[in-house]
Amino acid sequence: MSDELTMWEQPLSRRGFVAGATAAALAAAGLGRFGAADALAAAEAEGTLFYYNWAQYVNPKTYAAFTKATGIKVKKAFYDSNEILQAKLKGGARGYDLVCPSGYMTKILIAEKRLQPLDWSQLPNVKKNVDPKFRSQPADPKSAYTVVKDWGTTGFMYRTDKIKERPTTWKEFVALTKKYSKTVMVDSSPEVVGSIATMLGYSYNTENEKELDQVRKVLLDLKPHIVALHSFNYDTMIAKGQAWMGLGWNGDGLLLASKVPAQYVVAKEGGEAWIDNYNIPVGAANADAAHAWIDFVYQPRIAGLETSYTYYGSPLKRSLLKGTAAGKLLADKVVFPPPATLKKLEFNKVTAKGTRLRERIWTEFKAA
Amino acid sequence: MSAQPESARADSGLAHNRSRAGSGGPRYPGWLALPAVSWYVLFFLVPLGFIAVTSFGEVVGFSDVAYTWSLDNYRYLWDDIVGEIGLYRTIFLNTLKLSIVGTLSTLVIGFPLAYYIARYAKHKTLLLLLVIVPFWTSFLIRAYAWLIVLDPEFPVFRALGLSGFIESQDLLFTPKAIYIGVAYNYLPLMVLPLYAALERIDWSLVEAAQDLGDPPWRAFRRITLPLALPGVLAGSLLVFIPLTGEYIIPVILGGNKTFYAGNLIAQQFLESRDWPLGSALAMVVIGALTIALLVYARALGRQEQHG
Repeated sequence: MSDELTMWEQPLSRRGFVAGATAAALAAAGLGRFGAADALAAAEAEGTLFYYNWAQYVNPKTYAAFTKATGIKVKKAFYDSNEILQAKLKGGARGYDLVCPSGYMTKILIAEKRLQPLDWSQLPNVKKNVDPKFRSQPADPKSAYTVVKDWGTTGFMYRTDKIKERPTTWKEFVALTKKYSKTVMVDSSPEVVGSIATMLGYSYNTENEKELDQVRKVLLDLKPHIVALHSFNYDTMIAKGQAWMGLGWNGDGLLLASKVPAQYVVAKEGGEAWIDNYNIPVGAANADAAHAWIDFVYQPRIAGLETSYTYYGSPLKRSLLKGTAAGKLLADKVVFPPPATLKKLEFNKVTAKGTRLRERIWTEFKAA
Repeated sequence: MSAQPESARADSGLAHNRSRAGSGGPRYPGWLALPAVSWYVLFFLVPLGFIAVTSFGEVVGFSDVAYTWSLDNYRYLWDDIVGEIGLYRTIFLNTLKLSIVGTLSTLVIGFPLAYYIARYAKHKTLLLLLVIVPFWTSFLIRAYAWLIVLDPEFPVFRALGLSGFIESQDLLFTPKAIYIGVAYNYLPLMVLPLYAALERIDWSLVEAAQDLGDPPWRAFRRITLPLALPGVLAGSLLVFIPLTGEYIIPVILGGNKTFYAGNLIAQQFLESRDWPLGSALAMVVIGALTIALLVYARALGRQEQHG
């Protein structure tokens, strides 16, 4: 027993040694960054596509069809927020061939020089089939780095069998959250802060500190009634009955409605319309495979498969989707919202300053 | 260290060797420690150095860091901790509460278990194995397992008609679930050092005390407890220190809506992308723990001298 105690003492008496090693380590650190950890072993050329993507965002049938058509195998990894994607790329992760950031994150990644330009000669299907609306976007006006994957909206969903009310506004959503205390939200400050901002009549992208302070008050008031904050399986929680309402994305809302009686709503006050993009990061091991994938999924049949699985809007011309698996979804107002709905929504245009302010609110919200 | 009498040194003829041995400890081939030390320096001290250097930087734009050697981050944290907003102060205090309650709960559950195994059990190895084997499963999976067990819809509860009762306890996605998950996940870390200390106790001492008239609780307090104390302290440290950085259980079992130091630091790195602030927070936590450890080691040293 006394042996154990004196062993605690010893590291202190070797002070000189520890101090020396620490000094050496600090010197090494101060000299500059070493190469950060690489991603998993690089994919061989031709052979493999390393696809870093949101979870449950690709129809399993598409992977199989792609491998059958091109011989390229697909290796997958997943993230559940744009910010984590950016943190990984910033941390030096290499080897990802294809990533799917949302529009605002594409803009950031281009500015941070983390994406490589596309070789449009490898994308004939895209040029032929893309809906003119999606030929360019504010984040990448010349589409030098970007092809649209899909698009969607942010709103809320609720179980029609558990809640007798039929809310259509954020105000009602907030009131019902306080009433039932059975709400989940996506774990994402842009969506939650922005949506509440529209409820109060402000812009989704507001950076006005007074306005954001109002949003903060609403959120802190709401916190005790929140069940959980998950971006990945919040719709499953609602399907299981662990929650009855959720703040999230339209595709998940429709997926939920296919399992249990539920409804997805774009709130009357406003919300977000977003685009998710295909981008190829600098340091991709197999950019050719990434191009092959993008061109492959822009075939109408495959695009239809994708939309019928994710329930998110397709960027292809609507006429091309008519005979495909997504044919009957063309009339669905949740998957393809009509222009009147889209007019209320804003794109995420938050700047660095706005991000800091939102993150501060988010930290307070979570610590409450 | 006791001084040798002059005569003994001269007689033994070892004077020559003694002076070469320096302070008098046994000589050992120092180079044997090289692999371990290199590993330690390369994978612990160097990254720690990066964090320390980054904590003196400032965030630029969305996520870039400018190494400006400014104390802004520390000033910001200091103002928050001592000032009225106290956002980070709240989080640190919550973390402290979680760490203390977690340590105490594993102690309360683990001590009787370790005591039983050490003193009375016939199949010590089997019981210890039962404690250790779940530890071989991934930490993440053990946390997820509780998601199933705490769910009122769990088939076993339904079969036994307990669903209503469990639902009323309001366990899942609350701090209660976090405390349960913590107690379960950290129990082996408490039981093993406790068992190691208790197992060495000569139980005849306790029997002797009882023969001399002490009731069992008195014998426990005066004999068993002091002898078990090093195990209690070792186990407490093994539980307390990782608990201050606990991140996964609040995310999975707490509904990802409660913030402790671990979640806070992860958020700064992954979502806020404010690495300098995250580094400063990490240094504060490390600094606080180091100070606590130094105090503990000093106290232990004094006890060793007097005890």
